[in-house]
Amino acid sequence: MEAPWIAELRALLGPRGIIDDPTQLFPYEADGIVLLRRRPELVLLPRTTEQVSRALKILHRERVPVVARGAGTGLSGGATPVEGGVVVSLARMRDVLELDAVDRTARVQAGLVNIDLSLASSKHQLFYAPDPSSQQACTLGGNIAENSGGPHCFRYGNTTQHVLGLVIVLEDGTVLDLSEPRVDPLGYDLVGLFVGSEGMFGIATELVLKLLPKPATTETMLAIFESLDAACDATSDLIRARHEPSAIEILDKLTIQAVEASVYAAGYPKTAEAVLLLDIEGSEVEVANTVAGIEPLVRARGAIEVRTAKTDLERKQLWAGRKGAFGAMGRIAPDLYVADVCVPRTKLRELVAHTTRIAREKNLKLATVFHAGDGNLHPNIAYDRRDADEVRRVLEAGDEIMHLCIEAGGSLSGEHGVGLEKMKAMEWLFTREDLATMCRVREAWDPDRRMNPGKLIPIRACLEMKQAVVRPGSNESTGDAEDAGNAENVRSITNAGSER
Amino acid sequence: MRLADPKTLVEYTATLDCIHCGLCLRTCPTFQLTGNEASSPRGRIYLMRGVAEGEIAGDDATYHDELEFCLGCRNCESVCPAGVRFGEMMEVARDRAADSVKRPWLEALARWIGFELVLPNRTLMRWSMDLLGFAQRSGLLRRVAPLFGARKDALLAFPKVPSKAERELLPIRTPARGEEHGEVTVLEGCVMPEMFGRVNRATVETLSAIGFATRTCGSHACCGALHAHNGELDGARALAKNTIVAFEGLTSSDGVPLPVIVNSAGCGAHMKEYPRLLAAEPEWRARAQAFSQRVFDFSEFVAAHAPADWRPRVDPGTFGRVTYDDPCHLCHGQQIRKQPRELLKRVQGLEQVELPHSEQCCGSAGIYSMLRPSDSNAVFEPKLADLAETRADTLVTANPGCHMQWDMGLDRAVLDVRVVHIAEVLAEASRPR
Repeated sequence: MEAPWIAELRALLGPRGIIDDPTQLFPYEADGIVLLRRRPELVLLPRTTEQVSRALKILHRERVPVVARGAGTGLSGGATPVEGGVVVSLARMRDVLELDAVDRTARVQAGLVNIDLSLASSKHQLFYAPDPSSQQACTLGGNIAENSGGPHCFRYGNTTQHVLGLVIVLEDGTVLDLSEPRVDPLGYDLVGLFVGSEGMFGIATELVLKLLPKPATTETMLAIFESLDAACDATSDLIRARHEPSAIEILDKLTIQAVEASVYAAGYPKTAEAVLLLDIEGSEVEVANTVAGIEPLVRARGAIEVRTAKTDLERKQLWAGRKGAFGAMGRIAPDLYVADVCVPRTKLRELVAHTTRIAREKNLKLATVFHAGDGNLHPNIAYDRRDADEVRRVLEAGDEIMHLCIEAGGSLSGEHGVGLEKMKAMEWLFTREDLATMCRVREAWDPDRRMNPGKLIPIRACLEMKQAVVRPGSNESTGDAEDAGNAENVRSITNAGSER
Repeated sequence: MRLADPKTLVEYTATLDCIHCGLCLRTCPTFQLTGNEASSPRGRIYLMRGVAEGEIAGDDATYHDELEFCLGCRNCESVCPAGVRFGEMMEVARDRAADSVKRPWLEALARWIGFELVLPNRTLMRWSMDLLGFAQRSGLLRRVAPLFGARKDALLAFPKVPSKAERELLPIRTPARGEEHGEVTVLEGCVMPEMFGRVNRATVETLSAIGFATRTCGSHACCGALHAHNGELDGARALAKNTIVAFEGLTSSDGVPLPVIVNSAGCGAHMKEYPRLLAAEPEWRARAQAFSQRVFDFSEFVAAHAPADWRPRVDPGTFGRVTYDDPCHLCHGQQIRKQPRELLKRVQGLEQVELPHSEQCCGSAGIYSMLRPSDSNAVFEPKLADLAETRADTLVTANPGCHMQWDMGLDRAVLDVRVVHIAEVLAEASRPR
């Protein structure tokens, strides 16, 4: 006999709006980081803000933990379910509600795929700037949760700079409408606070986003290097010389080889040790000057060849290759650990040397891509999750890399968020007071700590510690015993049902 | 009996190629329809791996339903950076699944009749179509349709079986019009001569117009594509061998095997993949390889071999404004996208517009539209809106399944848009006037 509240959800969302079949739930156990897996009890697929609100009211009443999920492409475990919890998937909320070409804003549902917004606005010669490499798949709601970046965020800034308003459903089902775009937010900037909150402050259902006019001219340059260090140095040089491309990316040899073997083959030379990929945008004169300025600089650093894309198609291919890099690594091993660390640009070269050494010491296959302009480094480690020892070495390597970044004055995450994966590292970067303040902010939004519990803030360092109990059967794969976001006032579904 | 090892139920090693990046999600028609991860390529691979690793039982009903829900459009393959061969994995999983569950006896019987008797045999196919045609004309179909339950509407909507004259087979040899540049063979097909005899004739006519004589392959009918797509791999292998043998005999006067021209995208994609279908049989490997290299889609061949100055012409009123809808097994299965568009551009007097989302499946998917009519219709629905946006008078396709799906869908929507195969446009345009 189905619990009455599940029946209530079913009536609310319809037969295809709720998933409780164990086989259908199975693929929901992980998002983009398959190393972290937990089986949810239910998945909900609402279509409207109203449905999200009514569903969250029911879940609030039943005190069931909730994890929001977009496309499940996140790489830090932000959408990894909570055992005994419900996943609210925004995958069926993907309408463009309004697109104002004059005001240059779009109101969209949170499950809209990033690239679909740029496609919808392209007929007005507009685009949405943040362009994560997974933009073919990831949702705008997920981008908000993680404050995602992307190659062109070097020029345009991360997601938070492009969010004008939000409609948020709070943990108790209250709809908070912060969607009327205001030029200058008065009072506390709740929208700003919400962006990057990793699903812990509520569920954004409608987003008002900024659109930008497409640049008059875009030139894509590819510089080919015989050493990765030289490509790093060239990056610092061209920024020092005040040449401002809108995107500065570096791909190393193994990445190039994987991409070139895939449907996204872009014509990167397979023998190159590294390529530097640049987009230069602006007026025709501006672009021509910048290109002319950059070329001798990169050549001075040893670029053996510098190409510019001749056609729009070629330009697209050069970028599609970069954006397919993560998936292309599937050719090298079944799983990929994507580290996401930031250092000051001038330290890039130093960090690359360290990651290469760590990978060698631990006998791991490393392929690196960087958003070099942002000093955001993705050391990608290919592995097989069936090999427990390899998994251990991968995680150790990830930790060592994070430590080195912090030492170099950098950060734990450029754009993927903390989620489960980097939770314990938060203590390495932040003080107890920092974390306690974060906890207090979180409690203001979600006093029961029921939204995406057990993520981002390590429990030991936080006030939550006082009340926390370790959930039975809490995640074993990460081995974090203190992962106990499911505090005592949150019951698992099974209990909630039987106690009624 | 199959061994208990669940790793044999799917292509386990192939499931490991998927790195879980999710780039396939947005392209998948069933994911678009449901938003359900289990109904996406990434999710289905996850399920397959789950079966292999013992997390899901091999005879799990939901798993089987997810396999059958997939249209096999292979759109995911066009975007997969890891090069996962999803179509092939699905064929294997469906084939093994068929061993682990028992289908209801009526369904099993219908499948046996269809796959084993009718498709491979031109005479039985002809009789079946005669019977269907009679049932359609006499009103008998309307009476018996309710017996088919949920498939009743799909059965009633099935396009009218054409007249006997239209169902004439092709001549054994058709000479080139004017100077002969070469000789080719055409796959006449199983359903094609019955439902689309005019397309076969247009295929031959176009080839003849660009200087190629064509030959047919006697009584050979079926390449086995529908078998493979629906998890009948034993039948598919037998038909593949049959096809290879039949076409091996067709050579030029100096003994060179002739190119095989295929005007059905699903068949062409499948025949090009014979080598991996027969990979486990060493004595067939080389023959399959040699054969598959002779296979060309109609557009692929014509675009490559038409004289550079070939500029056929139509009266502007003949087709009006045309738009081309990519058959999945042409664009995703064979990576053929440019050639049909280039050919249409060559035709003078034709106004061509691009169809939005032309690479999205129309829901036909071989016999899917008969097996799961309501899902098939739901997948088709957005295509209508895309078509309306183009304000086209004629929709051009290159595959019989898509052709029928559009015919039925436009009929339901009461829209006056004509559906033609690209060969029909080119034949009309190259007709001497």
